[in-house]
Amino acid sequence: MTRALLRLIGARLLLSGLSLLAVSAIVFAVMEALPGDTAQRLLGRDATVQALAVLRAQLHLEQPAWARYGDWLGGVLHGDFGTSLVARRPVLPYIAGHFGYSLLLGGLALALHIPLSVSLGLFGAATRRDGPIDAMISAVALLGMSAPEFVIGIFLVSILATTLGWFPPLALIDQAHGPLEVARTLLLPVLTLNFAMTAYVLRQTRNAMFDVLRSDYVRLAVLRGLPPRHVLLRHALPNALAPAINAIALNAGWLVGGIVVVEVVFNYPGLGRLLVESISFHDVPMVLGAALVLSATYIAINLAADVALMLLTPKLLVR
Amino acid sequence: MARRLPRTAWFGAAVVVAYAVLSVAAPWLAPHAPDEVFVGGTFEPPSAEFWLGTDNLGRDVLSRVLYGGRTVLLLAGSASAISVAVGGILGMFLGLRRGVVDQAVMRLLDVAMSVPPIIFALLLIGALGPSAPLIVLVVGLLFVPNVTRVIRAATLSVAGEDFILAARARGESRAAIVLRELLPNVAGALITEVSIRTGFAAIFISGLGFLGFGPPPPAPDWGIMINEGRSTIDASVWPVVAPAVCLALLVMSLNLFTDGVGRAIDRTAR
Repeated sequence: MTRALLRLIGARLLLSGLSLLAVSAIVFAVMEALPGDTAQRLLGRDATVQALAVLRAQLHLEQPAWARYGDWLGGVLHGDFGTSLVARRPVLPYIAGHFGYSLLLGGLALALHIPLSVSLGLFGAATRRDGPIDAMISAVALLGMSAPEFVIGIFLVSILATTLGWFPPLALIDQAHGPLEVARTLLLPVLTLNFAMTAYVLRQTRNAMFDVLRSDYVRLAVLRGLPPRHVLLRHALPNALAPAINAIALNAGWLVGGIVVVEVVFNYPGLGRLLVESISFHDVPMVLGAALVLSATYIAINLAADVALMLLTPKLLVR
Repeated sequence: MARRLPRTAWFGAAVVVAYAVLSVAAPWLAPHAPDEVFVGGTFEPPSAEFWLGTDNLGRDVLSRVLYGGRTVLLLAGSASAISVAVGGILGMFLGLRRGVVDQAVMRLLDVAMSVPPIIFALLLIGALGPSAPLIVLVVGLLFVPNVTRVIRAATLSVAGEDFILAARARGESRAAIVLRELLPNVAGALITEVSIRTGFAAIFISGLGFLGFGPPPPAPDWGIMINEGRSTIDASVWPVVAPAVCLALLVMSLNLFTDGVGRAIDRTAR
C-alpha cells in the first residue's frame, strides 16, 4: 500500500520535472518568435551596423537558438536569470521580490478560501434541498461562476473603495507601512479572488453532500437516532470531502492565472503584473524568468494537490 | 432528452439565442457606428439619443456593446468549435484505440496542461501581436486537452458496452461504429463541452482584452471596454457596467444550459 503510494508519487514527481523542462522550452521558443532580434529592439531603429554587431556578439545572438536555450537554462539552474533589457539590471531580484508579493496574496486567498467554501457548502447541504436557502446559495454561486474576476474586482473597488472609501482602490503594498495598512491593502484583492473561487467548491461540496446524505449508511445513522449534526460531520462529511478537495486543488491551480488579472486590477506589485508589463515592453529575459517561475508554481501546486488527494482518498489508489 | 431539460436550461438557451440574433442584427439595431465620436459629448448619462450614455471619447455605449457582442460571440464560439472538434475527434479516437498510442498522447496532453493557460496565451499573443484569428486559435487549442479528457472518458464508458461489441462482431467498419453507435452516446457530452468551452472562452478572451491583449481596434471588445472605462468609473459607470453585465449574463446563461443538459444526461443514465 505505502509502497504503491510512494511509486505513484515518484512517477508524478518525474512527470512534473519533465513538464517543467518542456515548459521552459516552450516559453523560450515562443519568445524566439518575436519579430526582429533583441539587439535591434535594444538599440532602436537608427542604430549603426557596428553597434548592432557588437551587441549581438555580447548577447551571443549569432549562436543557434538551441545553444542559447542551453545557456539560458544553465544560467537559470545557477540562479542567473539574465539581465533585464529595460531596467539593465539582473532579473532575479525583481522576480524574487514580485514573487514574494504574489505568494502572500495567493496564500492569503487560499487560506481564506478553504474553510470558507467548505463550511458554506456544508451549510448549504444542511438545509433542505431546493429550499429557499439552498436556492439562494445556488443563485449566488452561479453569479460568482459567471462574472469574471476582473469584473468582480472593479465592482468591489468602485463600491467599497471609491464610493464608501473603506479601502484603498489600489493595493500598493510596497508603499504600505505596518501590518494594519498591509492588511487593508490586501483585503480587496483577497476578497475578489475568493468571490471567483468559492462558487465552484461550494457547488461540489453541496452536490457531494447531497449524494452522500442519500446513501444507506447515512439513513441508517439517522434511523439509529444519532443527532443530525453528528451524522453530518462524522458520517457524511468525510465521504464528501474528495470532490471538495479536488475542486480546491483545481482552484489553487486557477489562482496562478487568476492572480495575473487581479494584480493588474489592483496595480499590485506581483509576478503576474510584472509578466504582463514585461511582455508589453518585450523585455525577453524578464518574461522568460517570470513565466518560468509562474509555471513552476503551477506545476508544484498541481503536484501537491495530487499527492494530497492520494493521501486523503485511498479509494482512488485501489483502481 | 429535450423534453427532460429543466426550465432553467431553456432560459439559458433562449438568452444565448437572443445574443446571437442581436449580434447578427447589430448593424441595423445600433443607433450609431461603434467608433463614431461625438465631440463634446463625453460621459453623457443615458438619454433618448444615447440609451446607455457615452464613454470617455464620446462614443455611444449601446452601439459599442452591441458590436462587442459580435466580437465575443464570434471569437468565443470559434474557439469553442475548434477545441470541441479537435478534442472530440481525438478523445473518441483514443477511447476506442486505447493501448500505447492512447497512453502516449494522454501523457503528452498532461505536459501541455502543465503550462498555466493564461500565461501561454499572453506569451504567444504578446510575441506574435494580437489579431482575432490568433486569439481564436490559441484559446481553442488551449482547451483541447480538457475536451479530449472528457470525451475520451465518455467514449471509454460506452466502448465496452454490448451494442458496440455486437457492431464489431457484425463486422461493421470503424467509421460506421463511430457514427452510428458511439456518436449518439457521446452527443450529450459534446453539447455540454461546446457550452462550457464557449463560456470559458468568453471570459478568457475578455480577460485578454482587459489585460491589453485583445482583438485590435476598431472592433469593440467587452474586455477592452471594461478596461478603458474603469479608470474613469467616477465620471460614468455605464461604459463599465454595460459590457460587464452583458458578459456575466452570457456566461450565466451558458452555465444554466450546461447544468440543465448535464442533469438531463444524469437522469437518463440512471
